[in-house]
Amino acid sequence: MAENTKIAVKRRKKIKIFPIVNYLLFILIGLLILVPIWKVIVDSLDAKTVAALRLWPYEFTIAGYKRILTYNNLYMPLLNSVITTLLGTLLGLVLSTLGGYVLIQFEMPGRNFFAYFLLITMVFSGGMIPEFLVYKQLGLVNNLMAIVVKHGINVYNLVLMRNFFEGIPQGLFEAARIDGCSPMGIFFKIVLPLSKAALASIGLMFAVGAWNDYTAANIYIMKPSLYTFQQQLKSMIGSGDLPPSTEINTSTLANASIMIAIIPFMILYPFLQKYFVKGVNIGAVKE
Amino acid sequence: MAKKNKSEGTVQVIKKPLSKRIWNHRGFYLMFLPVFIFVILTQYWPMLGIRYAFYEYKVGRTPTFVGLENFYDMFSDPIKQKAFLTAFKNTLELSIIKLLITTFSSVVVSILLNEMANLFAKKILQTVIYLPHFMSWVVTASIFSLILAPTASGMVNTALQSWGILGEGEYIYFLNDTKWWRPVYYIINIWKETGWGTIIFLATLAGINPELYEAADIDGATRFQKMRYVTLPALANTIITVLILNLAKVMNLFESVLVFWQRGVNDVADVISTYIYRTGLAAGATSDYGFTTAVGLFKSLVGCVLVLICNWASKKVRGRGIV
Repeated sequence: MAENTKIAVKRRKKIKIFPIVNYLLFILIGLLILVPIWKVIVDSLDAKTVAALRLWPYEFTIAGYKRILTYNNLYMPLLNSVITTLLGTLLGLVLSTLGGYVLIQFEMPGRNFFAYFLLITMVFSGGMIPEFLVYKQLGLVNNLMAIVVKHGINVYNLVLMRNFFEGIPQGLFEAARIDGCSPMGIFFKIVLPLSKAALASIGLMFAVGAWNDYTAANIYIMKPSLYTFQQQLKSMIGSGDLPPSTEINTSTLANASIMIAIIPFMILYPFLQKYFVKGVNIGAVKE
Repeated sequence: MAKKNKSEGTVQVIKKPLSKRIWNHRGFYLMFLPVFIFVILTQYWPMLGIRYAFYEYKVGRTPTFVGLENFYDMFSDPIKQKAFLTAFKNTLELSIIKLLITTFSSVVVSILLNEMANLFAKKILQTVIYLPHFMSWVVTASIFSLILAPTASGMVNTALQSWGILGEGEYIYFLNDTKWWRPVYYIINIWKETGWGTIIFLATLAGINPELYEAADIDGATRFQKMRYVTLPALANTIITVLILNLAKVMNLFESVLVFWQRGVNDVADVISTYIYRTGLAAGATSDYGFTTAVGLFKSLVGCVLVLICNWASKKVRGRGIV
């Protein structure tokens, strides 16, 4: 009897220590992730350059943000990024839904050909230089459409969309066909309305990809007037190419620019987190 | 069989003639047309340009056929060979080490998350650790180059000075020192991708049969023993899957290196893609399309072989391919 209680006491002690350690690790990991981000937020709102980490700016100002939204060389890149993100997401969704829908037509002659036609591009590609030469011939060098096209075509996302469509009960298609609905009609009246979650998830993946793009912009856009915001940010902080300004601290402006590049998704993120996560799970853990 | 059915005239789904089936699907062909055109223009047309790998083609000149000379240069020209082999080795080393350590940290964090009984705390931490994944590489590079700056305004250097680890006026050039560049690159990758990597492991952990834990409890297993003998084996398959899927992509390393690349750390940081970019596109009047196309072709072929190997391994391990 006495032995039993001893064991029980021992157990309870062990169980109590672990959660505390776990909480501490949780806090540590959370802080490690958040410290760099918090530093940027505070620095972007501080009129002084301060090296140390602090909870709140010494001299609060929003001049950095104002400068970005009013200075030509800074808000133009922002506008370019907004345009490429919107168009890239739109093109991406149109192509991946159309392609995904056609790929689930198992009766269609040539369906396997189309599937391989797309899959080959996932395994093999022309490479950076041949692609650049083709885009040049298409007039896409120094053209924002290069970024739109580059992100709009994404076979991986198309296959994700196809996997999602495959989960729609075939009976619905059958019933609609018997009622005389055309393929296009079925697409708009059944497939798309039933796929809102997939459209949100995959649309977000396109949007994040296009907004965060640096590779395509760096290859295809050389004219500073067509720079995307990421390019502008890189040339400001990477090469110290800050716009002339007497009334504003460079650290404030640099950090505010970083913030502008993050803010859109920081605001949307808490609401959309489940769609982001769903996007990963449609692709990775299908079973 | 078919003959018999025909003669008896039984009810059977008879396949309609091909032309009829094509006609019935005309709407679908039309819907595929935009995808077809875009893929032809952006994916297949560039494949024709691979022929420049066998040409001498400098910017502004007409290409002339030279056979395998570009490949010969890659492996024997004293200058090109050194640069190419450095880039090739760096590509493999950086991506494989990065893959192993981010996978390891994701597994550790997801096991910790799984042990957390307080669902609210769990949710908060998940939200926080997913966040860096959505920051672009340019943003990440900007944040860290400000924090690690070797000046009086760099947080890390000034902190090291005030703790007495560095002397007054002494700075570590974290991002421009061949000794520091790689460790810093790996740490930044852990910071950015660990959280996102946990998603797939958490999905697996959620699927573990709770009875296994109950059985372990009855056997008197400690928490650590349960992690070691129940949780880890359940994760093993997912870990292998993640490694295989990502191994197929090791040659693609580009943007994360490009944003941190500086001339001073070229020997430890240059990868195939940044090498192609610098010598083929960003070199102005000396840009060499022919040679860099050859390097690109080599990269694609190695990537292709890796995909096929990983596809085969994936079929073995989990019964379905990766593409």
